[in-house]
Formats: sequence, structure tokens, C-alpha cells
Amino acid sequence: MRNASGARRGLNHWLLARASAAYMALFLPIFFVYACQGGLDYAAWRGLFLPVFVKVAVLLFAVALLAHAWIGLREIFIDYVHPLFLRLSLVFLFGVVYAACLIWAVAILWSLK
Amino acid sequence: MTQRPFFLNLLRIKLPIGGVVSILHRATGAVLSLLVPCLLYVFSLSLESAQGFVRVHGFLAGGFGWLLMSLVGWAMLHHFLAGLRHLGFDIGYGEDRATARATAWGTAVMAVLAAAGIAFWVLP
Repeated sequence: MRNASGARRGLNHWLLARASAAYMALFLPIFFVYACQGGLDYAAWRGLFLPVFVKVAVLLFAVALLAHAWIGLREIFIDYVHPLFLRLSLVFLFGVVYAACLIWAVAILWSLK
Repeated sequence: MTQRPFFLNLLRIKLPIGGVVSILHRATGAVLSLLVPCLLYVFSLSLESAQGFVRVHGFLAGGFGWLLMSLVGWAMLHHFLAGLRHLGFDIGYGEDRATARATAWGTAVMAVLAAAGIAFWVLP
């Protein structure tokens, strides 16, 4: 069972938390400037997400956000939720919820034509 | 042996500013994580139809929406700036006491000021 919660996985999580943070820190200001170009109505808001490269960049943002959120919550559960079964259940529950959110994000973005 | 006080009375524990910024980084991260599905719902509503967009816009333009956006805005700004501070530590910047205290104050103050700027100048 050495690898079930071994040090390497901790390092991977640590690195992924930082990589996702870096992507979000770059994406958010750029997207904010991009979004400020248009007006504040439905057509303009919808039009922002029509180009394929925007869909891809926003979806990557969703991946980064969900991975970052899951790693952070897992860290909090490890610190404060001590009964192992409850802790693993919470980590699993949020894994499922966030995986569903990712599929939902794909559906939202690619339903726009 | 010195007698050191041992207590976990949250009202009497005095955290240094770095500790305050750190626990707020964690608390804002937890709240933002729990909000992700709600934000995704609002996002989908705003895009699925013109009526949905009007509903979202109407809600966010109201008093409760303003309060919510201001608080979530502060949480995002604080988490963002405190995260940049931690990335600095990772590459060895600002680990000495004086710099760490200065960047902690900078993080806390800038997050509040920027959130106030958004709440009172951008949103209305």
C-alpha cells in the first residue's frame, strides 16, 4: 500500500495546485479585458463564447478551477476531518460533483452555436 | 521550565498578520470551492436564452446580488493575492520576517480596497 497516499501523489497535487493557479492567474485578467470589449447584453455576452479558441481557453479554465478546488478541499478535509471513512467519502463526493461540473461545462460551451 | 499558556480560545488567540492572511486564504478557498456548482448554474442560465440572461442580470443588479458579488469579489481577490504571495514563497521570495509581514499587510489591504472599488465604482 505504499503508493495509496504516498509522497509522490502529494508532490503531484502540490504541483497541479500551482500549475492550475498559474493558468487561472493568466487567464482571468486577459478574459476580463476581452469581455470588456463588448456591451452588456445577451447577444454580446453569448458572442464572447462563440470562437472555438475561447471555448477551449474557458474549458481549460474550468479544468484548472475544478482541479484546484478539489485539491484545496482535500487538503482541508485531511486537516479537519479525522474519521477516515468520512474523510474519504467527502473527497470522493466532491470528486464526483466536480467531474459532473466539468461535463456540464463542456455541454454549456458546446451547445452555443 | 517556563510555564507557557495553553488555550484554544478562539477569542483570545492573537494571530500575526501572516496567520490572518493564511487562514483567510483557506476560508475564502473553501467558500469559493463550494460556490463552483452555483456559479456554473448562473453561467449556464445566462447563456441558454435571452430570458435567462435577463433573469441573471436582474438578480445581480439587485441589492442582494450587489452584496453577493461584492463579497465573492473580495473572496476571489484575497484568495488570488494571497496565492500570489504563496507562489512567491515557493520560489524563495519574501521569506524573511519583515518582507513576509509587509506582503501580508499588502495582500489584506489591497484585497479590501480593490473589493471596495468594485463594489462602489464598478458595480453601480
